[in-house]
Amino acid sequence: MRQILVAMFVALLVAGCGTKGTQQPKASVEQRDLFEKQEQQAAEEAAKQARIQREQEELKRQMDEQKRRQDEAARRAAEAEQAVVKPLPESTMTEKSLADAASMLKDPESALSKRSIYYDFDAYNIKEEYQPMVEAHSKFLLEHKDYKVRIEGNCDERGSREYNLALGQRRADSVKRAMTLLGVPAKQIETVSFGSEKPKALAHDDDAWAENRRSDISYVGVDNPQ
Amino acid sequence: MNKPARLVSFNFFRTSSRWQRGLLLVALCLSATTARAQLTIEIIGGGADQIPITVLPLAAEEKYQQRISEIVAADLARSGRFRIQDPGSVRPLPSEPSEVNYRYWKNRGSQTLVLGKTTPRQDGKIEVRFRMIDTTKEAQVVGYAYTVGVPQLRAIAHKIADIIYEKLTGEPGVFSTRIAYVAKFPQRFELHVADADGFNSQFILAHREPIISPSWSPDGTRIAYVSFEQRRSIVFVHNLVDGTRKVLAAYDGINSAPSWAPDGKTLAITLSKDGPSQIYRINADGSGAIRLTNNNAIDTEASFSPDGKYILFTSDRGGSPQIYRMGVTGNNVERMTFDGSYNVTPRYSPDGKSFAFVQRSQGRYNLATMDIGTHQTQILTDSSLDASPTFAPNGRLILYASIVGGRGILAAVSSDGRIKQKITSSAQDVREPAWGPLVGNR
Repeated sequence: MRQILVAMFVALLVAGCGTKGTQQPKASVEQRDLFEKQEQQAAEEAAKQARIQREQEELKRQMDEQKRRQDEAARRAAEAEQAVVKPLPESTMTEKSLADAASMLKDPESALSKRSIYYDFDAYNIKEEYQPMVEAHSKFLLEHKDYKVRIEGNCDERGSREYNLALGQRRADSVKRAMTLLGVPAKQIETVSFGSEKPKALAHDDDAWAENRRSDISYVGVDNPQ
Repeated sequence: MNKPARLVSFNFFRTSSRWQRGLLLVALCLSATTARAQLTIEIIGGGADQIPITVLPLAAEEKYQQRISEIVAADLARSGRFRIQDPGSVRPLPSEPSEVNYRYWKNRGSQTLVLGKTTPRQDGKIEVRFRMIDTTKEAQVVGYAYTVGVPQLRAIAHKIADIIYEKLTGEPGVFSTRIAYVAKFPQRFELHVADADGFNSQFILAHREPIISPSWSPDGTRIAYVSFEQRRSIVFVHNLVDGTRKVLAAYDGINSAPSWAPDGKTLAITLSKDGPSQIYRINADGSGAIRLTNNNAIDTEASFSPDGKYILFTSDRGGSPQIYRMGVTGNNVERMTFDGSYNVTPRYSPDGKSFAFVQRSQGRYNLATMDIGTHQTQILTDSSLDASPTFAPNGRLILYASIVGGRGILAAVSSDGRIKQKITSSAQDVREPAWGPLVGNR
């Protein structure tokens, strides 16, 4: 009897162990499954990223190659011309490679085609409605380090020409400050004030004055000087 | 209006007896040599207590295109302080004291009589004699003789007018002074220098880019100004004697608002090279710029007191442009204007006791003066866009720019607000007047 009790206990123990034994691997399988799934996702993501990167690199390589070929072609053309006629200034090549960027600036659909910021009387703060435009120009300048802008501050004719000259400078400077805060290097931005000396609208009324309280963003070498 | 000389004499003598009521076309500019920018001065209203005076034609003056007595009478009338009397029917007119019929002039109420003669000389020059006679006392007040060439006849007439003015008012006359102003044509700006009556106007600089803020050196030989000819503001000093000029300031940012110190060796200017537009003092050769104001506001439009101790200027440090005064080193800054939200362009009066400025009130921009002792303000004009005041060197008149009928004109108002002049031009616009100093002409 004592032996039977012991055997039962053992059996129970074994059974218990058995139960435990079968549950344990099950749990570990599930856990492993879960782990494998994450790993799989990560692997897929990494592969995707790698593919994108490869694609981007490939694209960049192709673009670089294309640019290199264009440059090479331009150089050859320049050399060819050089041989026959006279040396082409190096800037010719730059101008050619920048042609697409220049057309971006002139695309009427783009925020970049908007160049004027308007102000209230005796004010120089950039109103909210002009901030997206300033951001668009800042982004463009960040992406095109070889472009420079000249910001021209203007005022309406009322009051003092000299005070207006200083106010126009402050208007231009405030646009420059907004752009440099967005990361545009200061060396890409030049400011000038015309005060009330170069009115766009020539009448002496509210509409003309509103039109003349303005900063213009002018791309050096792209836009015609005012 | 193409024959100014004729028109002057016609209008002048026909209207002189009742000119206070109406408009008197006094002087028209001018000679065929400088046809581009002629100035026309028109007097509107006159002062009280005008001094009556009879200016007789000088004997034989009609031989010359520039008739001295007409120029003298026009000068005196334009000042607003004289009433020109008609000589009546007596003939012949006297040219020497011995020829004066005192009873006739006393009966006409002509207490002060100007007479004289011109005599051609062998060498081609002209002797001009004039005398001013008090008919009550039957005595000469003053008399001079000059020997001049024909081209100097206008200058001599202005000199005679200055002498008469000073004798009768006790203040210097400004008829021999000059003014500078900017004439705008389509596609062209010209900086002009003209006689105070608008005659002999000729440009010293012409460019398609704007020119602003001319400022005379105290000796009248140089003019500093701001030119945009390099597509930004640069200050030049232009020598009127030899026609040469030098860059005074061409720093990054704005270079503007030149104003001569009374010593003639330094100027105050506005520069933004260090960030905000601030006032600096600089030597007349462009060296040694010293910053006088130090803040993040706009400080500009410096004007030196005649004793050289103070500078008036415009600043928006208080949130709106107002006029402040500081010591010449930038010390002891004091706010001068408090009325309204826009007070600009201060200009010291020649006696240093008051200043002219532009005040915005109810949407209008008008000329005003402030007494520095009492801070009392007087508004002098009533149109809508007046700007750029400049005192005559005797402090009696303030010349300024205005817009009438869509065109820029010059105008003048007496410092008591009673006398007003309108000065128009054949140019599209005239603006930025600067009245030159009294120099070596008295």
